[in-house]
Amino acid sequence: MELYVPILVLAVLAAGFAVFSVGIAPFTGPKRWNRAKLDAYECGIEPTPQPVGGGRFPLKYMITAMLFIVFDIEIIFLYPWAVAFDRLGVFGLVEMVLFIVTVLVAYAYVWRRRGLDWD
Amino acid sequence: MNGTIEAPTIEYALLAPMLVVFGAAIVGVLVEAFAPRYLRSAIHLPLTLLSLAGAFALAVWQALKGVPTKPAAMGAVAVDGPALFIWGTILVLAFVSVLLIKDEEHFVGSAAALPGSAEEEQSLVERAAHTEVYPLLLFAVGGMLLFPAANDLLVAFVALEVMSLPLYLLCGLARRRRLLSQEAAVKYFLLGAFSSAFFLYGTALLYGYAGSVDLAKINLALGSVGGQDTLLYIGAAMLGVGLLFKIGAAPFQAWKPDVYQGSPTPITALMASGTLVAAFGALLRVFWVGLGGLDWDWRPVFYGVAILTMVVGAILAITQTDIKRMLAYSSIAHGGFLLVGVIATGSAAQNTAALSGLLFYLVAYGFTTVGAFAVVTMVRDAGGEAWHLSRWAGLGKRSPLLAGTFAFFLLAFAGIPLTSGFFGKYAVFQAAVSGGALPLVIVGVVASAVAAFFYVRVIVLMFFSDPAADGPSVVLPSRGTAAVVGIAALATVVLGVFPQPLLDLAHSAAQSLFVR
Amino acid sequence: MNNPGPTLSDFGHDPLWITIIKAVAIFVFLMLGVLFGVWTERKLISRMQHRYGPNRAGKFGLLQSVADGLKMGLKEDIMPRTVDKVIYLLAPVIIAVPAFLAFSVVPFGPMVWMFGHRTPLQLTDLPVAVLLVLATASIGVYGIVLAGWGSRSPYAVLGGLRSAAQVVSYEIAMGLSFVAVFLNAGTLSTSEIVAKQAGGGTWDILGLHIPTPSWYVFSLIPSFLIYAVCMLGETNRVPFDLPEGEGELVGGFHTEYSSSLKFAMFMLAEYVNVFTVSAMAITLFFGGWRAPWPISLWDGANTGWWPLLWFFAKLVIAFGFFVWVRASLPRVRYDQLMAFGWKVLIPLNLVWILLAATFKALRLPETDRMGIMAFGAVVIIVAFVVWLRFDTVNQRRREARAAQVEEEFEQLREEPAAGGFPVPALDLPHYHGAVPAARVPTDAKEVTSGSN
Repeated sequence: MELYVPILVLAVLAAGFAVFSVGIAPFTGPKRWNRAKLDAYECGIEPTPQPVGGGRFPLKYMITAMLFIVFDIEIIFLYPWAVAFDRLGVFGLVEMVLFIVTVLVAYAYVWRRRGLDWD
Repeated sequence: MNGTIEAPTIEYALLAPMLVVFGAAIVGVLVEAFAPRYLRSAIHLPLTLLSLAGAFALAVWQALKGVPTKPAAMGAVAVDGPALFIWGTILVLAFVSVLLIKDEEHFVGSAAALPGSAEEEQSLVERAAHTEVYPLLLFAVGGMLLFPAANDLLVAFVALEVMSLPLYLLCGLARRRRLLSQEAAVKYFLLGAFSSAFFLYGTALLYGYAGSVDLAKINLALGSVGGQDTLLYIGAAMLGVGLLFKIGAAPFQAWKPDVYQGSPTPITALMASGTLVAAFGALLRVFWVGLGGLDWDWRPVFYGVAILTMVVGAILAITQTDIKRMLAYSSIAHGGFLLVGVIATGSAAQNTAALSGLLFYLVAYGFTTVGAFAVVTMVRDAGGEAWHLSRWAGLGKRSPLLAGTFAFFLLAFAGIPLTSGFFGKYAVFQAAVSGGALPLVIVGVVASAVAAFFYVRVIVLMFFSDPAADGPSVVLPSRGTAAVVGIAALATVVLGVFPQPLLDLAHSAAQSLFVR
Repeated sequence: MNNPGPTLSDFGHDPLWITIIKAVAIFVFLMLGVLFGVWTERKLISRMQHRYGPNRAGKFGLLQSVADGLKMGLKEDIMPRTVDKVIYLLAPVIIAVPAFLAFSVVPFGPMVWMFGHRTPLQLTDLPVAVLLVLATASIGVYGIVLAGWGSRSPYAVLGGLRSAAQVVSYEIAMGLSFVAVFLNAGTLSTSEIVAKQAGGGTWDILGLHIPTPSWYVFSLIPSFLIYAVCMLGETNRVPFDLPEGEGELVGGFHTEYSSSLKFAMFMLAEYVNVFTVSAMAITLFFGGWRAPWPISLWDGANTGWWPLLWFFAKLVIAFGFFVWVRASLPRVRYDQLMAFGWKVLIPLNLVWILLAATFKALRLPETDRMGIMAFGAVVIIVAFVVWLRFDTVNQRRREARAAQVEEEFEQLREEPAAGGFPVPALDLPHYHGAVPAARVPTDAKEVTSGSN
């Protein structure tokens, strides 16, 4: 646990600084009210009304997010394997080849179905 | 470094049926990735059928060679008598369901297109097809094989997910009534994810209690670990919730009618047969092996759940006007009848009797239900399958053979003698009586009688009322569908007239009980 | 060999006040680093572009960033009416805090005496230290997404989504590029990874003992190259600075954080992240605080406070690399960016990991070398066959796509108004198209664009 205390100390320091900066910002600057200034910036045109909660966004991003999770989990499997590789030996190598090949099967499928393309 | 890590020993021969199915599923994904579109279906179908048949052959070979007395794969998977029997059942039922799927009219061309949109139109014009159905189905079947054989809660959880996730997707692929199908998929997914979370949380609590996820070790800990009963009881209850959800036992039955109705009918057939078999196998293993020492505590709960399930299933089925929903409620009621057998534990001989009764019941019910859903796929009108019961009026006069077969399946559901359903119920109820659960059996018999009422009502509707002028047409079945109906009817007759070989087989499979 | 430095067991013994001193030191180091990092970058990039850069505030413009910071503090704090206030205010905090945290596991030096205590020049170390760095990077993504989401303006939302997609994509390649390092170091602890790079082995060939270099950048060069690309993508720096591609998205996810100290937080986080990825590159591939070769011949090079200097020098060089890239490369297109991350870096990485693991397995004592080689050969052949088929199909698809574009182009050439868009004819003189000879005046002189 002692190993984590320093991280906490640094976190408190950084959070204190960040909150202080964001909090003090409204008080240090001048205030000149202007209607147009308080609109969302869209290069001068009237701002597009945005639905509460964000509304819809392209599905593409969700596919990227799901792929990210798949590969992130693969990484999580790879790390302990890499650290313990000396002890796992050939068995570990064979297992990991099989695992990566299995993931690559799905990867090839996604590639072919244009899951990795942006257009 | 502190020494090498021993490579685990894995009995590949024992696990071969599962490995074949999973391997074929992965090959199926590769086919999807690499084969040109016009070839895919032609590759998938033989691949899927061959792998299921091959896995079945391997399971039979394993059973002939002698059932192992020790769990395989370092205690993770138990390939024992009941597991092999269940594997055989699931593989045959899956094979039959694939024959039903072969008729691609059931599946949508482009699932991602909004219903009614231009993209959907285009997918119809292009004759697009989701041939992913086959690998998805194989993954689901692989999960179904692993689930009842999982000898440790984590493996069971992985199997549960591998089984469920493809099914969630498959539910949303119906060609007609897209919105209903998508609704079914989302409902099933949300509720299924919820129940999986229950299962996982229960696993965590039991691990906290016993210090192991291995079923045998948990059972061992029941006698030795004291003072942590809260963990144990809450954990066991949560596992129960997760498993009962998959069975569709009341009060966790709410998803079943919606999902069965919205899914493509072949997938409904697979879920109603294969998933139910797998989930019962897993339920039996978890509660008999892992929590066997706790049976005084879970027995009353199951008592209540069984009564509730039978009553809810039978009574709500009466009010249904949709054939698929009615079959779904019937499936819930059958889940209740099967739960009666789960409680009938006691001495080893008693356990064997209950287990063999359950195994027989699962086979009998599985075939009948696949057959019933196969008939549903054939009765169609302009909008696709005709689900509303009023559309079935007078079917007996227009196509007596089909209506007769369906009536026969319904009688089997009701448990009329000379059908397989009778011997299934008989075996389970008899075991329950000798296990001292007489009140439960009485409720069961009453519920059967109530259920018989609505089965008979459909028969009456089909044969003794006038057909509607614009009534649905019965499509000429494709060879696959015809084969499915034929196989199911044959199984229902043979098991009803001549059940002894299968009863013996179930008995010998149950003889050794679950390995620990 | 020379002092291998602290290991995991040397951590966790500091009294709290030493910890606080170290934490404050890191914090101050990073703050000053950002102030002068910005100045360095502007100065360097100006020189690369034949300009002077900031030279008014202070000697050589050294105080330029300080002045900019003050200016930001004194600007009006604009909060658009439509924003989701909680998320909008939270985002700068969420993005800034994890940026600092990653530095808590960066090793700055060996054991030193600090006010009568023997302590490592590193805030702390964990058995999973590198994982902490990746975790903080992931939390930073929340800051980006929430900033875009909370602003509730189209540019900000799109910028936030783009940025998040980019960062998570490159995070995978980044995470994979670490695997080979762990494979060789056998640990995730940063201090121990540095210790493993203390001395290389020797390579016995033909009776000669050739010392192999100890830094992983030499033995694991593919990993490092991939990492070098990923660190640009991960920090949203040129050539991967799509999230704030001014031409298309105005300011990207921080469009609505127009001025004031809230914007300063994003700026700060960006530069701290650059330092973090540089520090990780140094720790994992360049021997951490260890002196480079000629200096390392001196016995005292890796003892006491000296390593702080080597680390700092390496950090400056790494930062210089970022600036150099910024000055040299144009921004890539978004689809190219994602395609590069997903279709090139990730498969390359996986193949390299397996190769590295195979080499490693071959060197393990008592292994069946022939077996491994046979297995490896089979895998390589199968992979190659599959790849050939895959590539042919992809090639075919690319050709089909190109043909389609060509056809469309032809169609438009025939009939410019096809598709319903009113377009000027392609052969107008100012398009440098083919001008019908009849219309060219005899005394016309072509004036090419770009000339005066």
